[in-house]
Amino acid sequence: MTTCDHCDRPAIYHDTRVLQGVTKTVNLCEVHASEAGIDLSPNGFSISLNPEMIGFTFSPTLNTCPDCGMTLAVYKEKALLGCPECYLTFKEKLIPVIANLHEKHTQHVGRSPRRANADIDRHISIRRLLSDLERAVTQEAYEEAAEIRDTLRELHQKEDDNAV
Amino acid sequence: MQFDPDINCPYASGTTAYGDVVLSSRARLARNLEGFPFVNRASTGDCEEVEILLNPACKSEDDLQLEWVDLHKLSPVEKTMCAERHLISTNFASATHPRGVMVGPELARSVMVNEEDHLRIQSIKPGLDLLATHEDVIAMDQRMEDLVAYAFDDQLGFLTACPTNVGTGARFSVMMHLPALRITKEFRQLYNSCESMSIAIRGYHGEGSETIADLYQLSNQVTLGYTEEDLRAMLEDQFLPTVIENERNARMKIIQQHAAKLDDRVFRAQGILENARLLPLNEAMDCLGRVRLGVSLERITDIDINAINQLFIDIQDAHVQWRYGDNLTSVQLQEKRAELVKEKLAA
Repeated sequence: MTTCDHCDRPAIYHDTRVLQGVTKTVNLCEVHASEAGIDLSPNGFSISLNPEMIGFTFSPTLNTCPDCGMTLAVYKEKALLGCPECYLTFKEKLIPVIANLHEKHTQHVGRSPRRANADIDRHISIRRLLSDLERAVTQEAYEEAAEIRDTLRELHQKEDDNAV
Repeated sequence: MQFDPDINCPYASGTTAYGDVVLSSRARLARNLEGFPFVNRASTGDCEEVEILLNPACKSEDDLQLEWVDLHKLSPVEKTMCAERHLISTNFASATHPRGVMVGPELARSVMVNEEDHLRIQSIKPGLDLLATHEDVIAMDQRMEDLVAYAFDDQLGFLTACPTNVGTGARFSVMMHLPALRITKEFRQLYNSCESMSIAIRGYHGEGSETIADLYQLSNQVTLGYTEEDLRAMLEDQFLPTVIENERNARMKIIQQHAAKLDDRVFRAQGILENARLLPLNEAMDCLGRVRLGVSLERITDIDINAINQLFIDIQDAHVQWRYGDNLTSVQLQEKRAELVKEKLAA
């Protein structure tokens, strides 16, 4: 049984999307799906629909981050966002909140990341591998998952060797 | 990490220009790694990967001399000590997920890894010197940036778990001793000007904490729409000089108009600190605050102001336990605290 991303209750709503080549699945129980603004009535419930078959598009009423599964209801409760992608997902709702917090400012000024160093490649590689690993485990592709783990280990080992 | 409370005091502000009012300055930058969930939604594996990615910052031979400390390897007393020194947050000390802190020499620099944000880079210096703390955090920020890509948005700047930190992710704060503004009832004015300048005023332990010993933390509330330099200058160059001047004027007013009352408060407190056999923490902090006012106005001349600044930290529960043993009963804790205060004030 798949449990809800936010609690231990059984998930009755499942939503799989592919973003930038990474597959993300959101699993929600009745309570959290309802909090996320998902219509669970017999006419609106779409648990069995395959997103690819119906030509999935983002619904403006779907208040769930595709990257981390954060819902607006959970954000309101914890006052914390779940990942960088949440800022894009909830931008419309967040901008007034941010303006209120920062003297009506909604535009950053000042320093930006340099992103000039080659070491960052390692960060990007590890990030991609972690996403692949998550997908492989979800799809129960355990051989592939083991290979990805080995590659991750090698990357870590390389760093340790460099340090010595 | 080596704790040496006798040497490493972030509040050794006594000889600095505004040391009578400002105990310490702190700069902090909040940063997150691109492609990883923020810590509140991160798995154990995500947290461990973030640690692995950042760990090399401690292996290099650069000027920062950061040392990696795994929080799981510290005893409960040591973790609380780190929080009492404001090296890490209280929540970070008691959390259970994989996390660590990089610390620099004399515990003045620290980088919390997997706090509310993946990185909380901070520097603390004695007295009023936000400029130096800012330079320090920029150096650490650039070191981290050699290793990872930060989550950044062209419009919103550096992305943080809480939108209150988005933009620069920069928070500048000072720990101030403001007894005279309270005694002369001028505090309402300070609150009003803080509000109009978007400056937060908090108690000794930061957000949500009670006021104790007339110690307050003042910090910028806004982090978006200004550069880091602007935020620092607004607090250090524009706002604080008036607060310091008002506190000093209020102290002079008390001497001129209520000298006997002031002396009574100050010397009663000194009497308690030098003679009590059992000292609860709050009473000790309160008395130290009063004695500090007496020392800064030269009503007391045989106590060094830095000894008092140091005691604000040394008398905290975990610091006393670290010095005398972590199995003290609450009465023994008060007894040892009283002994420590007596010894330090006599030195």
